[in-house]
This record gives sequence, structure tokens and C-alpha cells, in this order.
Amino acid sequence: MIGFLILSIFIGVVLVAFSAVIQKNLADSIILFMGVGLGSVVLFFIFNAPDVALTEAVIGAGISSFIFLMALKHLRSAS
Amino acid sequence: MSIKRNLPTSVMSGFALSAVFVLTLLNILLQNIPAQINTAGYELLKLNADDGVANAVTTVVVYFRGFDTLGEIAVLFIASLGIGHMLHLSDKCDLKEHSNFMLYTASKLLFPIITLFGVYVMVYGHLSPGGGFQGGVIIASGMLLLLISHKEFEVPHSLIVTLETLAGVSYVLIGLIALVVLDVFLGNFLPHDVSEMGLLLSGGVIPIIYIIVGIKVGSEMSSIVQNLIKRDANV
Repeated sequence: MIGFLILSIFIGVVLVAFSAVIQKNLADSIILFMGVGLGSVVLFFIFNAPDVALTEAVIGAGISSFIFLMALKHLRSAS
Repeated sequence: MSIKRNLPTSVMSGFALSAVFVLTLLNILLQNIPAQINTAGYELLKLNADDGVANAVTTVVVYFRGFDTLGEIAVLFIASLGIGHMLHLSDKCDLKEHSNFMLYTASKLLFPIITLFGVYVMVYGHLSPGGGFQGGVIIASGMLLLLISHKEFEVPHSLIVTLETLAGVSYVLIGLIALVVLDVFLGNFLPHDVSEMGLLLSGGVIPIIYIIVGIKVGSEMSSIVQNLIKRDANV
């Protein structure tokens, strides 16, 4: 049962990552990138890496998405 | 920016994202996660308990690879320096308009909680998951919340400079003291008894170093966030 759940989260993360790549709208891509971070947090936590899970939640899903969004805003105002 | 979205990819990605959410909820609700899933490093981490630090990852990051951590925060300092150099504004922009009322009110409630959690993660880094890096970034995200909700708010520049300088200097000083006392750079020269493992005051010099790392990372990330926000307000 737990193996099935882990496997389905794996597949979900891969699907979200794939759809983040093929998005036309860059803001959608950034939101989906945060979704990849969310799935990764669950996986890291299940596989006994709570330190990495905390780091991924704070840096991967929080600060780096903020930096991406700010960069996107700069790009839009520049073009 | 175009409002029109590409519908099929949006729908598909929405499905995938909600699938991840539902599976996460399912995991939390079912609660049948075994206490220990055997991974390769688990047996190795149990061997690291002889420094009086309950969290073995902290032992590795601060003690076994202490010089690495010094290099990492130097890298983060250089990144902060670069962003500050590129995005520096000579004239301060002041925006009179406030943000959304809900955000403005909620930020007053949320900022102390976020800061408290960041300090907890930082101070308990040798006992529970987390540590200086994570706690510092959590505090910086609290600063980010204040910066986007209160337009007149600024992280005091002199405070950032003072905290970061003191943290960096004291990290190297602790390493040099250990070099004098133990002939090991960044060695653990304070008493660290294994019988005290799990107490807040345990592990000798390791929690002190991790708090210093947290202060340095927090001030650096706050300055990065502030530079990005202030620059963005003027564009």
C-alpha cells in the first residue's frame, strides 16, 4: 500500500514537471514548479530525509519561486 | 502579458497538480506510513551519535564538514553581494499606496509566527530536522511578507550589515579558538557529553555555530529579497 502511494506520488511529480515544461505561459510554469517542490517534500519526508524536506519546502517552493516570479516581472516590463 | 491561456495544457497541468494534492492528503489521512523505511544511510547515521548531537545531519554539516559550511555561506554572501551590486538604486522609491487590506492585516498576525518558527528551527537545529540554513531562510521569508504587505517597510541596512559582519567574524573566531585549543580548525572545544544528548544545551560548540550560520543566512537572504522587491517597485 505504501509502495503504491509512493509510486503514485512519483508519477504525479513527473507529470507536473512535464506539464511545467510544456506550458506556454511562464507564470503557469512557475506555479507548477512549486507543485514539483510540494511532491518532492512528501517524497523526501517518506524516505527519512526531513532535513532535505524542510530545505526543499523553504528554498525550493518558497524563495526560488519568488525569485523566478520577480525575474518574470522584470522580463515583462523590459519587453 | 496575454490573458488567453493554452487551455489543454492548463487543464492537464491542473489535473496533475490536484492529483499530487489528493495523494498527499491521502497519505496524511491513511497514516499507515511505517515508522522506518529502510534507506541506505540509516545505519550509517546511527554511528554518528558520539558527539552528543541528536540530529546526525547537523553533525555532518557543522562538525565533520564545518569548513564546507563556511565556504557555503561565503558563496551565499557573494551571491547577495552580486544582487546588491546589480540592483542597487541610488534614489529610494516610495510608494504611498498600500497593498491589499487582507494581506496588510494578515501579515501583522503571521509575521511573529513565521519568525518564531524560524528561530525555533534555528535554535533546535541540533535536536530536530532543520538548522541554520532553513531557519534563516524562514526568517527571510517573514521579511518578504512584510516587504510585500507594508510598502513603507524596509529591513534596516545597518542592522543587516552589523549582524552579517558579526556572524561571519565569530564563525571564523570559533574556528580559530578551536585551532588553538584542540589543534583542529572548527573542532568541538566545549564539553559535549553523550549522556546529555537531546537536551537544548548539548553538543558543545555545534548549536552555537548553527545559530551563527542562521543569523548570517537570514540577513543575507533578507538583503537579497529586499533588493529584488525595491528594484521591482521602481520599474
